[in-house]
Amino acid sequence: MNAIEAKKLTKKFGSKAAVDHIDLTVKEGELFALLGVNGAGKTTAIRMLSCLSTPTEGEGAICGHSCRTEAEKVKGIIGISPQDTAVAENLTVKENLLFMARVYGYDKQKTEEKAGEMIRLFRMEEVENQRAKTLSGGWKRKLSIAMALIASPKVLFLDEPTLGLDVLARREMWRAIENLKGKMTILLTTHYMEEAESLSDRIAVMIAGKIAACGTLAQLEAETGRRGLEEAFVAIAERSMSENA
Amino acid sequence: MHKITAFAERNAKEILRDALSYIFCLGFPLVMLIIMTLVDKSIPKEAGMTVFRIENLAGGIAVFGQTFIMLFTAITVAKDRSGAFLVRMYATPMKSMDFALGYMLPMLCIALVQAALIGGCSLLVSVITGGSLSVAGVLLSLPVLLPSAVLFIGFGLLFGTVFNEKAAPGLCSIVISLGSFLGSIWFDAEAAGGVLLNISRCLPFHYCTKAARAAMQLHLSWDACLLPLLVVCLSAAVLVALACWAFRRKMKADLA
Repeated sequence: MNAIEAKKLTKKFGSKAAVDHIDLTVKEGELFALLGVNGAGKTTAIRMLSCLSTPTEGEGAICGHSCRTEAEKVKGIIGISPQDTAVAENLTVKENLLFMARVYGYDKQKTEEKAGEMIRLFRMEEVENQRAKTLSGGWKRKLSIAMALIASPKVLFLDEPTLGLDVLARREMWRAIENLKGKMTILLTTHYMEEAESLSDRIAVMIAGKIAACGTLAQLEAETGRRGLEEAFVAIAERSMSENA
Repeated sequence: MHKITAFAERNAKEILRDALSYIFCLGFPLVMLIIMTLVDKSIPKEAGMTVFRIENLAGGIAVFGQTFIMLFTAITVAKDRSGAFLVRMYATPMKSMDFALGYMLPMLCIALVQAALIGGCSLLVSVITGGSLSVAGVLLSLPVLLPSAVLFIGFGLLFGTVFNEKAAPGLCSIVISLGSFLGSIWFDAEAAGGVLLNISRCLPFHYCTKAARAAMQLHLSWDACLLPLLVVCLSAAVLVALACWAFRRKMKADLA
């Protein structure tokens, strides 16, 4: 079964289409990247697939459940780490994790186990009793992803997970994401070429709300005749813009 | 229920870990209790002004304290809405009613503790100043103050839902000022009479203070306590229903 499916998924704000009839299929266990410049429609696409926004047209489905008509089921099997760090600022790292686990209905023992598991997975032992508002950007982002993972989601949405992080924090985040590969389906949005290149199994290039190209790095290189993702991306973007002109 | 208690606990921690909550919800009302007691001592007996006597003042200060619970409810909701936190929570299995109850329940607990502490301090002031406030009156005022707490929490939830982080506290300040003056906390509207009394009678704040004062003085008659309490209960029910409806509508709009 496909973990994520989008058919003609569209979101319009007035007359402007932020996401324009995109078709997308992500297999179970795959790490899929939506690559595009700012304003390409990546976040809007993720919002529709995680039931945070209703599509104007088309359908999105997670593990066979419609995002439009089965939102409750979808919400039970997804985790999302939004672009802006979404943590409870006055709670400690551990309390944030315990809180999220309880929201998903775990009992006291399981809640403790899950929080401990996340603290170990993201190596947050040194900051576990620190309030979220005192954490650095990198730690906050890790906490945000750990909160998204606490309910062992089948599908994880990571919206620009390394945005604003320094090189070292970004590399550490990549390692953390790589550790998750294969354990669940991950859809991440990014505008960093090297991030999409090093982490993802397949990449979809979004230009002005449309998917201009989709495939593995090798397929994108073959399609454009360019070497490296950055070169391939530029070729795809130029082609897409000349088609639309 | 897990979801509601988890969210309620988070909200309680967010508020209790903010020093400003203690300053406004407890410190300020207690300072006003002391200042107004001193004012009462300065007023000559011949003036016949009894509004600041501890038996009258205690109920008024308890309601005054609750207006700040409204302020912190509004700030918490508006702050959550302005950031990405609530968006993340929208993607969990929580429903709009879970959010509304999760915001209201901890505030109600804080309001109860606040009423008990203000009641305790009022008793102490009563002993020192030779007032006639009784333990029974303070204890009786606790359940009587609950509906007014719900009313102010409802206001807070409504303002925090409808307005943004900057506008919501401003509007709460207007309600705090209006509630204080037209709620007969700082003067006796019944004694003043006229247009002021008519305006006060059109707003729920007057009945909050009246019921709390009557309970503190163990006046449990229909006119003194039960009728104002009924008005407060009805006003609270309407306002909470309105706030929940507004939250649900806003959540739907956010997810559109």
